[in-house]
Amino acid sequence: MDDKILEIKNLHVHYKTEDGVAEALNGIDLSMKKGQTIGLVGETGAGKTTLGLSILNLIQRPAGRIVDGSIELAGIKIFEKTERELEKIRGSMVSMIFQDPMTALNPIITVGEQILEVIKIHQKLSHKDASEKAREMLEFVGIPRERFGEYPHQFSGGMKQRVVIAIALACEPQLLIADEPTTALDVTIQAQVLELMKELKEKMSMGMLMITHDLGIVAEICDEVAVIYAGRIVEQGRLVDIFKNAKHPYTEGLFNSIPNIEDRKEELIPIKGLMSDPYNLPKGCSFYDRCDYAMDICRDKKPDKLYFNDKHFAECHLYKGNKDFLLKYAQAED
Amino acid sequence: MIKYILRRLMFLIPVVIAVTFVVFFIVSLSPGNIAAMIIGDGATKESIEQLTEEMGLNDPIIVQYGRYISKLVTGDMGKSYATGKDVSSEIASRFPNTLKLTILSIIISVGISIPIGVISATKQYSILDYVGMVLALIGISMPSFWFGLMLIIRFALKLGWFPSGGAEGWTSIILPAVTLGVASTASITRVARSSMLEVLPQDYIRTAKAKGVNKKDVIMTHALKNALIPTITIIGLEFGELLGGAILTETVFSWPGIGRLMVESINRKDIPMVLGTIIVFAVGFSIVNLIVDILYAYIDPRIKANYR
Amino acid sequence: MTEIATRQKVDLKKKYKKRSQMADIWIRLKRNRMAMIGLFILIILILTAVFADFIGDYEGKAIKINAKERLEGVSKEHYFGTDEYGRDIFTRIVFGTRTSLFVGTISVSIALTFGGILGSIAGYYGGKLDNTIMRILDVLLAIPTILLAITIVTALGPGLVNLMIAVGISNIPGFARVVRANVLGIKDQEFIEAAKAIGLRDHEIILRHVLPNCMAPIVVHSTLKVAGAIMATAGLSFIGLGVQPPRPEWGSMLSSGRAFIRDKVHVVLFPGLAIMVTILSLNLLGDGLRDALDPRMKQ
Repeated sequence: MDDKILEIKNLHVHYKTEDGVAEALNGIDLSMKKGQTIGLVGETGAGKTTLGLSILNLIQRPAGRIVDGSIELAGIKIFEKTERELEKIRGSMVSMIFQDPMTALNPIITVGEQILEVIKIHQKLSHKDASEKAREMLEFVGIPRERFGEYPHQFSGGMKQRVVIAIALACEPQLLIADEPTTALDVTIQAQVLELMKELKEKMSMGMLMITHDLGIVAEICDEVAVIYAGRIVEQGRLVDIFKNAKHPYTEGLFNSIPNIEDRKEELIPIKGLMSDPYNLPKGCSFYDRCDYAMDICRDKKPDKLYFNDKHFAECHLYKGNKDFLLKYAQAED
Repeated sequence: MIKYILRRLMFLIPVVIAVTFVVFFIVSLSPGNIAAMIIGDGATKESIEQLTEEMGLNDPIIVQYGRYISKLVTGDMGKSYATGKDVSSEIASRFPNTLKLTILSIIISVGISIPIGVISATKQYSILDYVGMVLALIGISMPSFWFGLMLIIRFALKLGWFPSGGAEGWTSIILPAVTLGVASTASITRVARSSMLEVLPQDYIRTAKAKGVNKKDVIMTHALKNALIPTITIIGLEFGELLGGAILTETVFSWPGIGRLMVESINRKDIPMVLGTIIVFAVGFSIVNLIVDILYAYIDPRIKANYR
Repeated sequence: MTEIATRQKVDLKKKYKKRSQMADIWIRLKRNRMAMIGLFILIILILTAVFADFIGDYEGKAIKINAKERLEGVSKEHYFGTDEYGRDIFTRIVFGTRTSLFVGTISVSIALTFGGILGSIAGYYGGKLDNTIMRILDVLLAIPTILLAITIVTALGPGLVNLMIAVGISNIPGFARVVRANVLGIKDQEFIEAAKAIGLRDHEIILRHVLPNCMAPIVVHSTLKVAGAIMATAGLSFIGLGVQPPRPEWGSMLSSGRAFIRDKVHVVLFPGLAIMVTILSLNLLGDGLRDALDPRMKQ
């Protein structure tokens, strides 16, 4: 497994709060090869950010706990490392960028200094060389290097996010975890930032975990897609598998929730109900009470992973013994 | 930055003038005939009238104030009714004592409160946090003058480590400084802690951690600097409270500063001295506020930006 | 999401049971043990103040000079000992509660009323009116509160009533500032626009819509200021500017007891403790209220 940059096995993460124990992640398996881009798709509350934070082992303690499982980053067992060792890995081997650029930067330190900081921590460069590199990073993300000494409030949202990206990529990480990086931005800026990320990803042959709820972004930039629901990956496969041949009812529901630009009169078919309560997950399939295809067995037993090709699988009782079952809307396609 | 400082300084002057007027006006409402008091027993109606006229006390307030302020800018605050000496020289001789006391107090306060506040916040819910917060709560609830008396009883009278009053020797400043500083230490600790608690969950702290910044630097460089912003405001406010507290503390410890001078003058109805001491206090407070505002702008670049 | 799955309907109803805002705040306050302790102590103090006459004999023990029993220590007859005039310290402290709470609440009421009016007007109308009021307030705020109180007391002369006025007036600028800040935050919200649109007059809007929504921080501020007022009362009485003898007041008891601290500690110990306990209870309650009303603590 030499070219595996990320290997997550059976990850369980819980949060303990006043209201009880929230089971945020319930047995996540995920692996990524060098240079791959995997999209992690799901609604708010599905556990996407938790997954990203787990890879960096930045889950807020004492509330959050890694209850089971393991994560390996280029062979390094993350949960066995001390905090010191983890600090060396964060920002240099793996970087994470978050959703809201407006609050992601320290308001009282210049943007240049903030890029400089990550360089100085991880790389043995003289102050002069490090500053030069920081300025190069600014240009790399499309910001004039003269703006090194300006403060975050002097930048717009889109530019702030570029600074965030510059900080994340300054030390050429092998894996970038992008948690909804464009959600808070205007659509036109979204496109720019996305283009930037594509370019950089290719230039640096960096692996990327793109966490998003926007299928459009997934289509633009991802090789593989994992669909996460209630802390489990319920379907995963190559981009074409998921987009053309989705198997899980939830995935179908996600696609149906997107307005069809070709047929504007077509009715939207939302997924009824709300995400399962993480404090009180059901015994059987978590999607049971929202699923159009629900059967009795779904209520009582959790479905197994069923593979449709070497990469494409879904966790659903529909296909047990009936691999060729077609979902409603799948039938309408082709 | 310079522009900001200059602008604030310019704002200071009218405020100071207005403060002196307010104080003058309020004090002038004092009941009782001043001339009668000065002459004392055996005053005749004529002599009272004459002295009143001489002292210009029959003129309208504005005129009296004008006279006062014009003398004030030359440093003349009139003469004490009690001793006849120059008010300004009395104040000038005692002022350094109060200054020494308040500065030492604020240094002790800040020196203790910020580390404790930061540690309490980073180790929230630990024993240290609870003990710290309980002590801080007691600190702001305790009357400083009573605390001073308790300290005198234990450390001066019973143990004899410190003098129970006066300003003889370097040990004499310790108990008053501690007494004066208790309330502000407690208050600043609480604010430092709550500011840190507000800052720590912020997104940019998470970004710093994700960058691999080590724990100590996350707290000191990223969190603390931001948490200091509201804390400094409180430190400025506390200094004001300290000035008020100095009045009481100097009384308890018979400390020869302008606080005690003020109390004595009030009890003796020595109006010029009262006026002088209050004005000095008020102006001092305004200057401290100015310094705090400037510090604030220095730390928070967003403020500086507004005054570009 | 147009239709909530039936299976989920039942659970949602249980979770989001409707609760009135007041009840909500009370429930959250109850969870805070320290705040409840503060409230408890405060209630005891209030009861002490109200029923002081039944607890102690004012004329006989608090006021009457009894040279024979001078400076006696703690005993069954005199729970806290006697002072230099032979007066029972316990009784004096009990009646002192009345003074402190009375001055505290009245002075804060004065500050709240006038400060509230000024702050509301300044915040609501803005513009020149706001500027003028704020300029004046800035000047007053440039003087530390205690100093302002001392100045006013100097002018008015010592005494209980003057003390209340002085402490009250010196707190007006602070209250005006808090109220103004809150009004500014509320007045641009849409429901105020709506109120104007249906023709409500200004004072109706301010009283019925703006102020009720500012109650939270104002209540917290008031509670903490009552503590401050009691402290100021004790302080001013300590330096002779407040309550006049023989009226029992904790601060003046400290002042007169000062001469005897060498061997008669009890004369200053108990009055000081009384001040501390009172202010502590108010601070605990104020802190608790602040936490309970903090919207960020809402689930």
